[in-house]
Amino acid sequence: MTTITLRNLRKEFDDVVAVNGVDLTVRDGEFLVVVGPSGCGKSTTLRLLAGLETATDGEIRMDDRDVTGTEPKDRNVAMVFQNYALYPHMTGRRNITFGMNATDSFTDEEIDRRVAEAAETLDITDLLDRKPQAMSGGERQRVALGRAIVRDPDAFLMDEPLSNLDAKLRIQMRAELTRLHAELGTTTVYVTHDQTEAMTLGERVVVMDDGEIQQVDPPQALYDFPENRFVAEFIGDPAMNMIDVAVEGGVAVHDAFRIPLPTGEAGDGKNVENGTAAESLADPEAGDRRKAVLGVRPEDLHPARDRPDLGETTFDATVEVTEPLGDSLLVHCSVGDATFKMGAEPRSSLEPGGTVSVTYDPERLHLFEPETGEAFYHSSTAPVTSDRLERVAND
Amino acid sequence: MSTREIFDGRLEAALLLAPTLLVSVVFLYYPTALAFRTSLFDAGFGRAEEFVGLENYLTLLESSAYHRSVAISVLFAALVVVGTITVSLYLTFLIHEVDDGQGWYLISVIWPYALPPAVAALVFLFILHPTLGVLTGPIEAVGFDVDWFNDGPQAFLVVLLVAIWKQIGYNVIFMIAAMKDVPDALTETAELDGVGRLRRLVSVYVPIMTPTLFFLVIINTIYAFFGTFAFVDLLTSGGPANATNVLIFDLYREGFSFFNFGVASTKSVVLFLVVAVLMVIQFRLTEEYSYYGA
Repeated sequence: MTTITLRNLRKEFDDVVAVNGVDLTVRDGEFLVVVGPSGCGKSTTLRLLAGLETATDGEIRMDDRDVTGTEPKDRNVAMVFQNYALYPHMTGRRNITFGMNATDSFTDEEIDRRVAEAAETLDITDLLDRKPQAMSGGERQRVALGRAIVRDPDAFLMDEPLSNLDAKLRIQMRAELTRLHAELGTTTVYVTHDQTEAMTLGERVVVMDDGEIQQVDPPQALYDFPENRFVAEFIGDPAMNMIDVAVEGGVAVHDAFRIPLPTGEAGDGKNVENGTAAESLADPEAGDRRKAVLGVRPEDLHPARDRPDLGETTFDATVEVTEPLGDSLLVHCSVGDATFKMGAEPRSSLEPGGTVSVTYDPERLHLFEPETGEAFYHSSTAPVTSDRLERVAND
Repeated sequence: MSTREIFDGRLEAALLLAPTLLVSVVFLYYPTALAFRTSLFDAGFGRAEEFVGLENYLTLLESSAYHRSVAISVLFAALVVVGTITVSLYLTFLIHEVDDGQGWYLISVIWPYALPPAVAALVFLFILHPTLGVLTGPIEAVGFDVDWFNDGPQAFLVVLLVAIWKQIGYNVIFMIAAMKDVPDALTETAELDGVGRLRRLVSVYVPIMTPTLFFLVIINTIYAFFGTFAFVDLLTSGGPANATNVLIFDLYREGFSFFNFGVASTKSVVLFLVVAVLMVIQFRLTEEYSYYGA
C-alpha cells in the first residue's frame, strides 16, 4: 500500500504551463479521482506520476521514496489507458503476461497463478485466448485492467479508462471498478473529464483547472460546498445558476427579488471555511453593500406551489423553455436581466411565456466574489473534514 | 447497365487510358513478348536469326557457370534483403527513440538514396580501393588484408555493402512512418512494464509493422535482382573469377559484350521466372504472418 505525495509539481511544455504547482497527497489505499475540463493538466499530472513525463519542478514521493526522477518501470505503478493500449497482435493472455515475462522477475508458475486469479476477478477467462480485434470495447478494457492488476503494483493510474465505452457499459464498468477497488484496496488515481464519473467513483475528488488544483474534497462536500465558481459550475449537471446580486444587510438584492441570507450561529467553530455570521457578509472595505454572485443549483429552486414548506419568500419569473427529463422538468426562466434553470415536478403544467412563482431552499445558497470567483458564503455549515483542517492549517 | 456512369462514353474512357496503355505496351509488354520470342532463336549482332526451339534453355540448364550465377544472385538477394531490413530497422528505431534532431538524423540516413547508383559505386570505389581507399588503411591496420580486386568473397562483400547502404534510405522512409503509427500508449505501456528497448522493437513494433516490412521485403528483392547492376558493373565487372557475376550483370554481358541476343533473352526470361516465383512465395508468407490492424 502506498501514499503518494506531490509537492509543488510543475510541468511546462515549451511556453505552456500544463501543471502549475500542484500539492496533493493521495492516501494509502484511496480511490482518488482527478476531474477537470480538457487541457486542465489532469492527464499530465497522471503522466508525471507514472514517469511518462519529466517534471519541470517539484517532487513526487511514493511513501518514503522520492521518485521524481525515477524511470517508469522502477516506480511499480500500472496504468490503464483510454484506448486500452492492448498489443493488437497478442492474445489476451500474452497481453497480460508480456510485461511480466519481459522482466524475468516472475517464475512461469507464478505468472500462470496470477493470470488465473486476475482472470477470475475480472471474469475474463474466456477472453485469454482471443486477440483484441475479437473483443468488444468493454472486454478490451477488462483485459487491460487484468494486465494492470497481475503485477500487483503499488498504485493504479487510470487515464479516462471508460471514455471509449458506450453509456450503458460505462455505468456497468464504473460499478465494477468500485468493486475491484474494494477488493484490492490499491491506491488508485483516476483521471476523467466526466464529473458524474468523478462523483460516483471517487472517495475524494480533485477538481483541476488551468494546471491548478481548485478543490479537493469528498464528492458530496465538493457538491455542497464548492470553494469557487469554477468548482460550483463544473460539478453538477445542469450547472449551478449564477446570478449577479448585491448583498445588503444580510440580504441578496436583485432588481427583481430580494433573498434573505440565513446566518448560522457565529463562532460555533464548525465552519472553518467562512463565518456565516451576518457581519462576514459585509465587505470590510466597501462597507455595508457589496457586489456578489449568487449561486443556486437548479434542483434547489422550485415552483412555489410545489414546495410551500420552503418559506414565504418567493419571486416571479418568466418561463422561457421547458425540457422534460423524465424524472423531472427542467425549466429555463428569466427574471430581470438574469436567466436561471429550475427543477420542477415532471408533469408540471408550465408553459413557455407564462409566469411562475419561484421559491428556493434557504439551506442551499452560495455567494461568490465577482472578481476572484472565491466562495465567501454558504448558507449551511460546511462539515469539518480533514481536508479542510489541513487547508486551514496550511493557510 | 452500370449504375456508375463516370464517363460520357467508351471513347472518353479509352482516351484517358490511352497514355498509360501506350507506355505499358511499348515499353513493357511488347519487349517482354519479344524477349520470349528471341529466347527461342539463335540471334546475334549481324547474324541471321535462326529458330532453335528450347535449345537456349537446355544450354543454360547444363551450364555450370550459369548455375553458379543463379546461386550467387539468390545468395546476394537474400543477404541484401536481410541486411537492408535489419540495418534499416535498427537505424529507424534509433531515430524514433531520439527526442532532439530527429529530422537531421533522418536526412543523413536517407541521403544515400538520393545518390545515383553509379555515383554511389564510384564513391565506394574510392573509399575502399585496395591501395588508395581512405578506409583501406584503417582496416588493414587492424590486421585485415583488403584485396577485393583479387579476392572473390571480399568483392562479393563490397558489392553487398554498397547495395545495402544504398537501399537503407528508402527502407527508413517507410519504416519510420510505420513505426510512428504504433500508438504511443503501447510504447508507454511497455515502458511501465519494464520491457527493454530491443524487446519492445522486436515484440511490439515489428509485429505491428509487418505489412510495411513485407512490402519492403518485396521491393528489396526486386532491387537486389535488378537494381544492383551499376554496383557490379563499376566495382567488379562481375569478377574476380565471376564471384560477383549476378544474373542481371551476366545477361547484360551475354547480350551486349558477347552479342548473343538469343541466350541473353533466355537468361532474362529465367531471371523473370526466378523473381516471379520468389514473389509468389513472399506473398503467400505475407498473408500468413502479416498483421493488419483492428
